This record gives sequence, C-alpha cells and structure tokens, in this order.
Amino acid sequence: MIWLIARREFRTRALSKASLVTSSVMIVLIVVGALIAKPFLESDGDAETIQVASGPTAALAPYLQAVAAAQGTDVEVIEVVDPATDALDEGVAAVLTGAVTQPELFVDSADDAVVGLVQAAVQAAALDAQVEALGGDPAQVSQALAGSTAAVIVLGDADGFDSGEFFAGFVVILVLFFVLVQSASVIMMGVVEEKSSRVVEILLATVRPSTLLGGKVLGVGLYALMQAASLMLPLVFAAVYLDLLGSIGISVGALLLNFSVWFVLGFALFTVLFGGLAALVSRQEDLGSVTTPMMLLMMVPLYLAIYLVPNSPDGPVTAGLTQVPFFAPFLVPMRLAFDAISPLEVASAIVLCLIAIPLFVWLAGRIYAGAVLNTGGRMRIADALRRR
Amino acid sequence: MPALVIDHLVKTYGDVRALDDISFTVEAGELFGFVGANGAGKTTAMRIALGVLRADSGTVTWDGSPIDLARRSRIGYMPEERGLYPRMKVGEQLVYLARLHGMGRADAERAMAHWTEVLGVADRRDDAVEKLSLGNQQRVQLASALVHGPEILVLDEPFSGLDPVAVGVMSEVLRGEAARGVPVIFSSHQLELVEQLCDRVGIVRSGRLVASGGIDELTALERPRWTLEADLPAAWTPGVPGVTAARVSERMWSVEAADAAAAPAVLASAVQSGRVTSFVPNRPTLTELFRDVVAEPEGEAA
Ligand SMILES: Nc1ncnc2c1ncn2[C@@H]1O[C@H](COP(=O)(O)OP(=O)(O)OP(=O)(O)O)[C@@H](O)[C@H]1O
Ligand SMILES: [Mg+2]
Repeated sequence: MIWLIARREFRTRALSKASLVTSSVMIVLIVVGALIAKPFLESDGDAETIQVASGPTAALAPYLQAVAAAQGTDVEVIEVVDPATDALDEGVAAVLTGAVTQPELFVDSADDAVVGLVQAAVQAAALDAQVEALGGDPAQVSQALAGSTAAVIVLGDADGFDSGEFFAGFVVILVLFFVLVQSASVIMMGVVEEKSSRVVEILLATVRPSTLLGGKVLGVGLYALMQAASLMLPLVFAAVYLDLLGSIGISVGALLLNFSVWFVLGFALFTVLFGGLAALVSRQEDLGSVTTPMMLLMMVPLYLAIYLVPNSPDGPVTAGLTQVPFFAPFLVPMRLAFDAISPLEVASAIVLCLIAIPLFVWLAGRIYAGAVLNTGGRMRIADALRRR
Repeated sequence: MPALVIDHLVKTYGDVRALDDISFTVEAGELFGFVGANGAGKTTAMRIALGVLRADSGTVTWDGSPIDLARRSRIGYMPEERGLYPRMKVGEQLVYLARLHGMGRADAERAMAHWTEVLGVADRRDDAVEKLSLGNQQRVQLASALVHGPEILVLDEPFSGLDPVAVGVMSEVLRGEAARGVPVIFSSHQLELVEQLCDRVGIVRSGRLVASGGIDELTALERPRWTLEADLPAAWTPGVPGVTAARVSERMWSVEAADAAAAPAVLASAVQSGRVTSFVPNRPTLTELFRDVVAEPEGEAA
C-alpha cells in the first residue's frame, strides 16, 4: 500500500515534463561544461617549451631540465637549428641562443617564470665549469648542496583553518540543505494539493493518514535521491575528469557515503515533519505561512554547521549538539569533513536519529491526521493534535 | 442478513451538536435515502460511517462487527466535496484507487474499463480529470466509488450536478448494486428522485432522525387527506367528528381526517349535499412530508 502511494508520487514527479527537462539540462550543462573547461584548465599544467639553438648553447639543455625538475615545473627543451628570434613560434615560451655562460634569452615578457629558470640553469652551468676548472667533481658539489637543507619547525597553530576540508563539508551540507528544502516543499505542495482538491477524503477512507504521509515522503524521497544522484554523478565525473578532487585531498567515496547516510536520515526527520505541518493549511496560497518558518528553522543547523564547526570542531557545545537529532544531519558531515569526530560519536548520532525518526513520524502523523480533513483557514498545531 | 447499523452516534463541533444520538439501520440490498435540511448532519453521519471522522460516542457496525480499516476498504464512498487528482488521467486514477482498495493490477484495469463504459466516460480515459466537465467529473467520481466492487455504498449527494440522462444511468447503477446485495445509503435534496428510487428513507433534523421507514409507511403515517371535487354549497361541512374540510377552489375541497376510517362518512355527507364528481385519497409527497417534519417547531434549526 505504502509502495503504491510512493510509486504514484515518484512517477508524477519524475515523469513530469518540467522535471525531465531540468534534470537533462543540468546533466548536459555539467558534462559539456567539464569537457569545455578541460583544455583551459590543463593549459596551465602544460609543459613549457624552450627552444635551444644547436651548437654551444645546447650544452645548457641538461641544466635547464635539472632546474625545472628541482622546481617542480614541466619544461620541454628542444634543440633547434637557428630558431626564430624576432617572434616566438606558436607554443614556445622562450628561445635561448649564444654562449653557455652568456646566452641570449628571447621571451614574450621579462617576468616570465622561465627567466628565473634559465638564470638558475646558466649559473649552475657556470658553477660546474668553475668546479671542473679547479679540479673538483661537479657531481659531488651538487650532492653536498642538495644535502644541506634546514629542518623547518612550525611554531604556529598546527590545526590551522583548512579550506579544503571546509569546502568538502560545506558542499555536502549545502547540497543536503537544498535537497531537503526542495523536497520538503514538494511534499508540502503535494499534501496541500490533495487537501485542496479534496482527494484526501477518499484516500483516507481506505488508507491510514500515517501511511499516506509515509508513502508521500518515500516517493518524493526516492525522487529527490534520484535527482540528487543525477546531479552528483556528473559533478563527480566532472571533478574526476578535471582532477579537482586531488587538490582537496578528500576521497569521493567518503564524501558520497557521508552525503547519502545523512541525506536519508535528514530526509526522514525533516520532510516527515514538514509534511505533517503542511496539512495545517488548506490552500497553496497559505503554504507560505508554514514554509517560511520551515526555511528559517532549517537554517539554524545549517549555520551552526558552517560557523560553529570550523571554529570549534570538537568543542563541548559542538559535541553536544551533534547528538541532537535536529542538528545532527548538518553537524556530523561537517565534523567528518574536518575529521574531528570519533566513530563512536557518529554511531551514537545515527542511533539517536533512528530513534527520533519514529517519534517525528508519529508526531507528524498526528498533526496530519488531525488537520488534513479540516478545511478553511490555517489550523493551530495544538488544535490539530487534539482533533479527531 | 448483514446490515449496516448506525447506533447512537453523537458528534459535536464546539457548541454545535451536529449529530444528536442518531440511529438507523440499512439492510443488505436496500436503497436508503438520507434527507434533511442543509446542516442537518447527513454528511457528518456518513463521514463517521466511513471512519474519516471520529464520533464522540456511538458505533457503526456492519454484520455485527465494527468497521475497521480492512472493512472500510470494502466501502465505496462518494464524498460531498468531490475530489480526485485534477491532473491525473481518468483511467490511471481509477486503477490507482482500485489498487489502494486492495485490488490486483489486472482486476483493477478490468474494473476501470467496465465502469467507465457503464458510466459513459470510456472515451475520456486518457484525459486529465480537470479537463472534464463537472457532470463528467461526477461520473468519474461515482466510478471511483464503484471501481473496487464495494460491499457497502455510501454516497453523499451523488445526483447533484447531473443531467437527466446521467441521473437515469446513475439510478440504474444504484439499483443494480442494491440488487447485488449491497446496502446503498445516499443523501439527496432531490426528493422526487429519492421517492422513486429508495426502499426506505430517513429524515434528519438537527442531528436527529425524526422519521424513517418505507415511503408508503411514512406517507401513510400522516393525517389522511382527500381531494373532493363536487358542487357543494360554500358553507358545507362534512359534519363528521375529527374531520375538517377547506374549500380550495370553486369545486375543489381538501378534506383532512384523524383517521382513514372517516372516508365513507365524509363521502356520504358530500353526496347528500350536492353532486360529487371525484373523491380521491391524497397521499402527501415526500416533499410535503419533508416540509412538515422539518418545519415542526422543536429546538432551533442548525
Ligand atoms: N468541520 C466542522 N466544524 C464545525 N462545524 C461543523 C463542521 N462540519 C460540520 N459542522 C456542523 O455540523 C452540522 C452538520 O453538518 P453536515 O455537513 O453534516 O450537514 P448536512 O446535512 O450534510 O448539510 P448539507 O445538506 O448542507 O450538506 C452543521 O451545523 C455544521 O455547521
Ligand atoms: Mg452534506
């Protein structure tokens, strides 16, 4: 029975033209965006080409390569007979000609990184030449140079604000927030639609109010999950394809798992409650009187997660609120991103949410059952609970 | 024989006593017409019978046991405020509702095809309900009450908004269902229709059942009346104890007695005084009965 209801909800949402169009447009945008962005993002990491004139200058090539390797930049050194020096060839960063110790460097602008690189290479070549002239072994010298580094001891706060972690947690709870707000509104609109079109009365003649509400939440939930997945998958594809995640240092798997667990828990907690509250009004126009407080209410845990967690990832207030089901869906993912929560805390937050869900369902079911057949103005919660 | 028994229902809304200890029984296979002024409590009683509303006290039983969820899904219900998903297709919607009542997919499809055919909306199956005219939406609404092969039918004003042809179709359908052994209870303000269609009628006033029974029984309960057509002096009186006569027009008299047995004496008196062309008993229509019962002073109207 509950599946029949869920299926109808799912189908009416998923098969609606608007939904199909939006989803496909988003997917196409993300994928095409990634495909177009790739060459631009990559041109930065491309190897710089330095043309070295054949002849004496060519002796600089190994030094250029060594310096580039030490600096961690990618440089391609090509030996060219009589390179063009009045204008650089396409894709060429610099041209080097002349004697090893006093070469001439042609570049587009003097502050190119390539200038410093060539400078260092020329000095290294000169140093080698001098060492050899003095009868020493250049290899030994460079080894000694490489070996003498200072040990760095950082005295500042080691747990500095990590923007990568913050970003990962932020994305998860922000997506969660928007998906929840959107699904809650879809459910609320559905509840009011049934109420204003008065189908509820024939539905309730054969279905329990809680089953009806539950089926709705389930159907819309699956739809929202599918929609979220249809956005997340291309996003993840884009991120992997563009190699964005490497720089954040968070694994995609953990991010998705984190998201899905709290999506399901948060979904059950919030949407059930808001579905129940939606039954308090009878017309779409009055829905605002329920949705506005809902949005404000949901912003509380969102802002706590954004402002409290980075400042005090494992402080007592944060730890305490983490265990409150209403806040957990936002606080836990954020703290997980900061790696500031113990597995035990996560487990107990999940268990508490699992206990709270039936209570929320019961409460929402009561409100829903009491209010759903009431027509006319907005009903008060207390009246709805007393009703029937 | 199973029966739907409404037993001492009480329902109050604040100060309003919507149902004031109402009781009646509808036997299987019986068409029960439920009439009463606006606000008398018909809808409230039907909603309670359906279980969408809870009574303050009293019970509703079918075949001796209370109506629980399983049994409720065997009831066909047409609410007063019609409701279907406006944007869902007629066929899809009926199949969905049938399945919510526990029918399998194939059976539901078959029932949907059957009832849309019978009720004349077969060619609208693929249209969204909101695209249908009011009367056709009404037909779909009735189909939704019938599609799951209910064991009890509770219909709140099923005839309002229907054209005469549709009224005929709907009446036939209700008769057919009753013949199948289904108790049918429906409310209506179209009293001629109720009179033609129903086996029994219940009249409610201010939440109380003030009259109930077969049409004949109910109308016979009233003071007997006759219409007398005769050439009589204007000052004529029947001269029988307990009998009054009023001159309606030149040759028409309306005679009322406490007892039907007074008829021969009245006729004899009239024949003696002049030429009588006709003397017929005058059964009140349900409408008249309704007016009498509802107008009787007793408490304030809701
Ligand atoms: N939700 C409600 N809140 C308060 N009073 C109500 C409510 N529903 C019904 N009533 C009251 O209960 C009484 C009976 O109403 P009901 O709808 O049962 O009448 P009805 O016989 O169906 O009338 P109608 O012929 O107009 O449909 C009325 O006095 C009405 O005002
Ligand atoms: Mg009514």
